Amino acid sequence: MSVSGIWIIFRREISQYFASPVAYLIAFAFFLVTGLIYNNDITVSLTVKPTDPAAVPIFLSFGVIFFAPLLTMRLLAEEQRERTMELLLTAPVRDGDIVLGKFLSAWFYYSLLLGVTFVVYQGILIGLDTYTPDIGHALAAYIGIWLYGGAALGVGLMFSATTENQIVAAFLSMSTLLLLWLGDLAGQIVASVELAEFIRKLTLQGHFSTSFASGLFRAEDAVFFAGIMAVTLFVTIRIVESRRWR
Amino acid sequence: MIEAKALTKRYGVHLALDGVTFNAAPGEILGLLGPNGAGKTTTMRILTGYMPPSSGTATVAGFDVLDDSMEVRRRVGYMPERVPIYPDMTVQGYVMFWARLRGVRKAKARVDEVLERVRLTERRNSLLRNLSKGLVQRLGLAQALVHEPDVVILDEPTIGIDPQQVIEVREYVRQLGRDHTVLFSTHILSEAEQVCDRVVIINKGRLMAEGKPEALRRQLDPGDHIYVMVRGEVKRVRGVLEKIAGVERVETNGPGFSVRAKKGTDVRARIAEGVAAANLPLIEMRPVAMTLEDIFLDIVGREG
Repeated sequence: MSVSGIWIIFRREISQYFASPVAYLIAFAFFLVTGLIYNNDITVSLTVKPTDPAAVPIFLSFGVIFFAPLLTMRLLAEEQRERTMELLLTAPVRDGDIVLGKFLSAWFYYSLLLGVTFVVYQGILIGLDTYTPDIGHALAAYIGIWLYGGAALGVGLMFSATTENQIVAAFLSMSTLLLLWLGDLAGQIVASVELAEFIRKLTLQGHFSTSFASGLFRAEDAVFFAGIMAVTLFVTIRIVESRRWR
Repeated sequence: MIEAKALTKRYGVHLALDGVTFNAAPGEILGLLGPNGAGKTTTMRILTGYMPPSSGTATVAGFDVLDDSMEVRRRVGYMPERVPIYPDMTVQGYVMFWARLRGVRKAKARVDEVLERVRLTERRNSLLRNLSKGLVQRLGLAQALVHEPDVVILDEPTIGIDPQQVIEVREYVRQLGRDHTVLFSTHILSEAEQVCDRVVIINKGRLMAEGKPEALRRQLDPGDHIYVMVRGEVKRVRGVLEKIAGVERVETNGPGFSVRAKKGTDVRARIAEGVAAANLPLIEMRPVAMTLEDIFLDIVGREG
């Protein structure tokens, strides 16, 4: 693994994000939807209940299913379609560096969007005298959804490697993420409690909604998301490598 | 500089390369000739470290393409048949990206230099999506040269561009031969004759012939070839020509005839006499130099 290879790939992808209208549209949608959720949370807090520091992360635990594939669909599918992959694979960089550089760029862009919502929304709460924001709770929820997003981006990148069609890549990753999300509802259809709990442990929500979302940072949940990232990146690297054999 | 030994590549059951052996000396421009699907691109992809051979070995600048792939990739500049671009990048950004990725020191100065060399300096800030095909081709050369590789591998660099640009690209390739070893694939034989020091002819994954263009022509020339134009009834003229001693084969060729003579026999005087004796006016007679094209058709044809 070479840091410089990862860094060069990472830099190109980041500048690509900032040069493409699609990324700005994604950012716009991201801020619009999280803004509405946040606004609603504050409005409700006037009469019904206190603000929920995890309101935005909780929404994103569903929203990321759609945002993450949009950020990753292009990354490898486009290299394949434009045949730049052939040149990349003849450059003196490891296949792993290419995949890692691209993954980190997507995660960085996502972190940036997430960071803005954190700073702005918590900042407004601090600014309003009537609220005493629970920064600790919010921070845990944000760390959770940050890792959750990383795992989702890993899944998205993996499917981007399998096809040269971005739409197909996005569709496959959204479907997979939706399945991982729906798994949370296993208890409603599975009679055995043990089995339902086991299935839930395999889902994204199962490691977020009852821990991070409540302001709880549990190592096992962090390890779960890190594990998803490691597995999807490993598979992605193998898929890219397999291009050489075809 | 390039040594390929018994290179074999299988895609499933399809045998794309079958024991191809050749080499290229430093500073040599080696032409890789063959019809579409002959295995040219596969050969190049193996030499660039893109894919491993199924069997056989290849070394570039003394490094094995399998064991020292990174060293090989550092020393090879590759321009694929269709130059791949990132449409949203600028000319300069694109060349800079490849320079950095290939570990060029003082990348900025080197990029300026190479853009100047392929005459893209004025277009340095243009987006790649707006470049014409000829300019993209030059850009492809720029990225292949930016890290000053020992070996430059060009896959059909003159395909699909206009004649003026074809001449330009050929000129570049000839210049490259001064300080790089160049492997250049084409299916246009006259091009190989003009540009290459030596050619390797492959067909259906197998090496058919190898050598200097002139030597190949001498070696494979099946005999003297003369073009004769005689006024008169085709059948009769043909009959007269066929009877001349030393003539092996007579074929109609446009308004005249192609006469093949036994190797080393000059039948021109006898043709003139024979035709005059038959009272037929001789309009034109000239020797035809065999082009690589003829040789190639001959070889490929023999293979069926």
